[in-house]
Amino acid sequence: MTDTLTQNRIETLAPTEHISLEPPTTDKRGYIEFLLDLLVDAGRVDDRETALQALLAREEETTTGVGMGIGIPHAQTDAVTEPSVAFTRSDDGVDFGAMDDEPARLLFMILVPESGADDHLAILSTLSRALMHDEVREELYDAETPADVQTVLKEAVA
Amino acid sequence: MSSELERVVTVVPEAGLHARPAAAFVETVNDSDSDIQIAHATDDDDDTDLTPAASMIAVTSLGVEHGEEIRIVADGPNAEATLDELERVLTTPEDELDGENATATDTDADATTDTNA
Repeated sequence: MTDTLTQNRIETLAPTEHISLEPPTTDKRGYIEFLLDLLVDAGRVDDRETALQALLAREEETTTGVGMGIGIPHAQTDAVTEPSVAFTRSDDGVDFGAMDDEPARLLFMILVPESGADDHLAILSTLSRALMHDEVREELYDAETPADVQTVLKEAVA
Repeated sequence: MSSELERVVTVVPEAGLHARPAAAFVETVNDSDSDIQIAHATDDDDDTDLTPAASMIAVTSLGVEHGEEIRIVADGPNAEATLDELERVLTTPEDELDGENATATDTDADATTDTNA
């Protein structure tokens, strides 16, 4: 098992411009596009359409609503220049088709280049492990600024 | 008391235990009357490493890669049958899982495709 998601890496993977606490009210597809646009605007994605298709293709396989009110849409695509994570949240929750039927309130996006399969799984698993803790989810609900979110993530993967 | 059984299985799907194989795994766990816990087989068989396998996030959190071994512990009336089914899920290449687990996955796919594709 690789485990490369360290505290220092959070700043590279998820700088504060990848984090928005002011998402629109929308559906699953809308949230996926919103998260993607955070990464596009930050200059991480060369080809928005290709990245979007990769993300939607991944959702068609199985939902990325992993339960506990968390959605982690993700894809490996060369439309992204380096491994990147984005975050937003939904106060009302959005239906991500999770098996536990809980609407997703914490939404992460992971995009990793095609060559980064190990990285992809490492980021996904480390994030999942952190988010299984009730207190981490609570702190993410309560975070007031993108910097707060980043701090919570750093502590959670420490 | 019911019997507790365990088995070590090597994960076959190329992308490891996440996405569709993980969903198939969790659905099998939730369909079973047995309690299922999993851990990396390399973890010295220490029971404190065991994680309940009934949620996608728990299974994903293990970060199991292709070719890695996981240890599955089943406790309940149909433990043996559940282990058989879980082993089948873990040893089926991902592209051969098509058409299975039609319940949750189909609904989810619809939810993403029906909006201005």
